[in-house]
Amino acid sequence: MSTSSGPARTRSSWSLKDLVLLVVLGVVFGFLYWVFVQAWTALSLLMGPAGDLSQHFLAGSWLLVAPIAIAIVQRPFAGVIAEVLASVIEVVFLGSAVGPLLFIAAAIQGIGSEIPFAATRYRSYSWLTYALSGLLGAGLVFFYSAFRSGWYGQDLFFTRLVIHLISGVVLGGLLAKVIVDALAKTGVVDNFAIGRARLGKTNAR
Amino acid sequence: MTAKSAELPASFASGSVLARRNPTVKLALLFVVSLAMVFIFDPVTPAVLYVVALAAVVASTRLPLRTLALGHVPFLAFGLGILMVNALSRPGYILWDAGPLRITAEGLSVGGSLALRTLVIGILAIGFIASTDGVALMGSLHQHARLGSRITYAVLAGYRMLQEMPREWQTIRQAHAVRAQLRPDGSLPSGLAAYGRAAFALLVVSVRKGERMAQSLESRGLGLTPRTTWRKIPLTRTDWLMAAAVLAVLGGIVYASHVLGFLEGYDALFS
Repeated sequence: MSTSSGPARTRSSWSLKDLVLLVVLGVVFGFLYWVFVQAWTALSLLMGPAGDLSQHFLAGSWLLVAPIAIAIVQRPFAGVIAEVLASVIEVVFLGSAVGPLLFIAAAIQGIGSEIPFAATRYRSYSWLTYALSGLLGAGLVFFYSAFRSGWYGQDLFFTRLVIHLISGVVLGGLLAKVIVDALAKTGVVDNFAIGRARLGKTNAR
Repeated sequence: MTAKSAELPASFASGSVLARRNPTVKLALLFVVSLAMVFIFDPVTPAVLYVVALAAVVASTRLPLRTLALGHVPFLAFGLGILMVNALSRPGYILWDAGPLRITAEGLSVGGSLALRTLVIGILAIGFIASTDGVALMGSLHQHARLGSRITYAVLAGYRMLQEMPREWQTIRQAHAVRAQLRPDGSLPSGLAAYGRAAFALLVVSVRKGERMAQSLESRGLGLTPRTTWRKIPLTRTDWLMAAAVLAVLGGIVYASHVLGFLEGYDALFS
């Protein structure tokens, strides 16, 4: 019926529908970030040195793609693949300033966001799982970014960490659940694993 | 965030020397150089690398100066922020202080290094993006980097969707505007909530469109093997020469910097 993440499914190859969905999520969020970053660059210019710090407030929003992808497709590695695809679209087609190191950051974020869902074997989609997903995603990538951007040894290190983690939980975790629930309600994802799980409960098809 | 600003970046340097090189090789080189930069923490080495990279990109793409300068704005802004934060927030030999604020020599050095690093990666990324067609890159990754055909074509389908997205976004915003309840002074509601609604509509429309795309790709037999490619992306000896030259220059500069005593690694953060 609806337990779509049994071990038998994990070995079979990805269906094109699921792959395209991951790409679509990457494209939509890539585009929205891009619209947003244009405004953001102007803002961080105005803020001067605070601009560097302000990035942490929104750090969590970069994590959104992974939990949404996992919740809809409900397969192992969905989060990692979605994050990496999103970063490819940002770098190759939207010309992100970070360059190809973004692929590595994206993979680390995806792994972090995916661990809590993997721990429940892709069965639990509670607020707690999403919050943990945001926390781990933000936490893992923080240490990578800290290394890359040389935040270690700065007085601000712990301020950065705390803002970053809170942002991860709220924007990268809880917000993802709000979006997923709203998407499920519209019915557009009924043909994916999430829809099978949802419809399976009401009228066993 | 008006419709005008929602024009996607296009490649400017088609037909230049760099544009004729293999996209996969270019991407790999950009990746290797970016990775090498992460381990350099003194300001001199990245400064030299930046000058060399700038010269190489200008010579090989012939980008107009205005495009180059505009492309630098985000990196410069970001780099300046990094420089200031590091100068103000790193313990060390104090050059200047006023109340809670102090500028340290170590902070300036590390901050300068990190700011210059963004510039090096930035100028190379500008060169790469200006000279590389995204579709050719995906085709080349499929041919030369063994990227699976289903992922390749899924990304290409996504690219097509991305090209239409500014128009889609505008349509949604206009549709919302037509039905929006005007504020007492007669103006349209704007702000975060309005943008949020438009963003969600864009997501829903795109998910539905993606499903149709997947169906049509599958019905045209995508995923069947063996596949042939129509337009082959060339991978020639010149590409390997370029790769060797870039790596030799990178290695040479880093080595020279080490011999001359400028090069500093990760320890610079804690000295």
